[in-house]
Amino acid sequence: MAEFLQYVITGLAVGMVYALIALGFALVWKSSSVANLALGQLVLISSWFTYGMLVQASLPYWLGLPLTILFALLLGWIIERFALRPLVAQPILSLITVTLGVAYFLEGVVSFIWPMSVAALPRIFPVEPVHIGPAVVSQEYIWAAVISLALFGLLSLFFRYHRMGVAMRATADDQLAVQACAIPVTSVFSTSWMFACVVAAIGGVLISCIGGITFGLVETGLKSFSVVILGGLNSFVGCIVAGPIIGLCENLGGGYLTPLIGPGIKDIIPFIIIIIVMFIKPYGLFGETRIERI
Amino acid sequence: MLKLNNIEVVYLNVVKVLHGISMGVEDCSVVALLGANGAGKTTTLKAISGLLRTEEGEVTDGSIEWDGERIDRKTAVEIGKLGIVQALEGRRVFGHLNTEENLLVGAYNRRDHYAVSEDMSMAYNYFPRLKQLRRNIAGYLSGGEQQMLVIGRAMMAAPRLMMLDEPSLGLAPMMVEEIYDIIKRFNTEKETSVLLVEQNVRVALNIAHYGYVMENGRVVLDGTADFLRNNEDVKEFYMGLSAVGAKKSYRSVKHYKRRKRWL
Repeated sequence: MAEFLQYVITGLAVGMVYALIALGFALVWKSSSVANLALGQLVLISSWFTYGMLVQASLPYWLGLPLTILFALLLGWIIERFALRPLVAQPILSLITVTLGVAYFLEGVVSFIWPMSVAALPRIFPVEPVHIGPAVVSQEYIWAAVISLALFGLLSLFFRYHRMGVAMRATADDQLAVQACAIPVTSVFSTSWMFACVVAAIGGVLISCIGGITFGLVETGLKSFSVVILGGLNSFVGCIVAGPIIGLCENLGGGYLTPLIGPGIKDIIPFIIIIIVMFIKPYGLFGETRIERI
Repeated sequence: MLKLNNIEVVYLNVVKVLHGISMGVEDCSVVALLGANGAGKTTTLKAISGLLRTEEGEVTDGSIEWDGERIDRKTAVEIGKLGIVQALEGRRVFGHLNTEENLLVGAYNRRDHYAVSEDMSMAYNYFPRLKQLRRNIAGYLSGGEQQMLVIGRAMMAAPRLMMLDEPSLGLAPMMVEEIYDIIKRFNTEKETSVLLVEQNVRVALNIAHYGYVMENGRVVLDGTADFLRNNEDVKEFYMGLSAVGAKKSYRSVKHYKRRKRWL
């Protein structure tokens, strides 16, 4: 029982982080219908950057963590400005391919600057584990869930009420009509990329607090894809529902199936889910039934 | 206040669509731009609003002046901030946003929050129907309601010149009349100029002060609304009336003579 509860809690927590990262994907997809294939690499590079700030430059948290956010904002702006904007009005496939190029570029940068393959962030959160019923959970999980949920709430409010948020949703609907309202679409696009990078960075830091910085972080990005596909490509609600589902399946399945099947099953489960969902509900749980090219 | 001096527009560097259009819109006036399909009416509007660039079109010759300042090299955002707003053809609402959010998007560039909320009630005053639908998702509104929403969204920019592209498209005659009444009211009460593109010549000339008839990228006829209404050619080709005002029977006309061309 304790074991089960533990799997559920950690699964939900990790799932929330996946949902947060997935939100970054959905955001770019919604406003510009570009599939951001560099998601995992964004998570990877910002985690390493945090490592560089906190460990290598041994900056205090209050300076190092905001610097990471700043780095993510800048990264998002640069990617949109120099990789994607020159291709505006080109076929969408070219833009998606460019994000793939960005992915490999970032991967190269990471292995150039941080050639070691494994590192650990310092313990940002208190060390004492929390007792929930019979289960013992380390605080990182709880914080990850709380921070992800809070950010998710903030972003939802932003999309609901802020001028720019509403304009971003409008851009998703009709780009030409948005231009007719004299809204600069280019700044809508770059804002969406900056947001995507920031949530990827925060998600990356939360995940690396739990599991350390490894190359597996790229996979975290891929798991967020499965969240997006399960939830529906353009649905924010879909992300927050699908994230915990993926997290739960991964942890429960990993926990109970590993002794039977062997290690590694944990990482396969999200992708098995993707395949099954694609068969049954090609638009995801909350996706709009509309044919999109990818 | 708006002047087009002999402008030419080329798409994709090869397709020449406008062959020297000259026209003007005075303060507080309603100007109708009439003509058949493919005459270049929408292109003219897009040249003014700066939306041509996104469609790889370009003003290659002539100039567009707004209060004496050239605007044909400006971007759509800059032109919008000068007070020129275009409502696109075909009820392009933001389908997943609700009515109120659609209107708010129209006021994106305004910083005077108090005036924006006043204008919101003004828009609801012009379109009481929209007020009942303010929380409804725009994609599910009826055609007439969507057209109202598109015009209301243009009003929310507090423009000095509102350009409407076929506001009557696909609407029932009753609805057309209602929308045109509102456009006229907005024009007189807010002292906003209106540039109308319309196939429905009769309703357009009802509220317009001045009109231009376009064909194949040229202005072939222009004059006051009264002049155009009584012009024999306009009557015959755009209102379907013969000289005596009776319905014309097209069966009696040989098809190759049916359509008069100026060029």
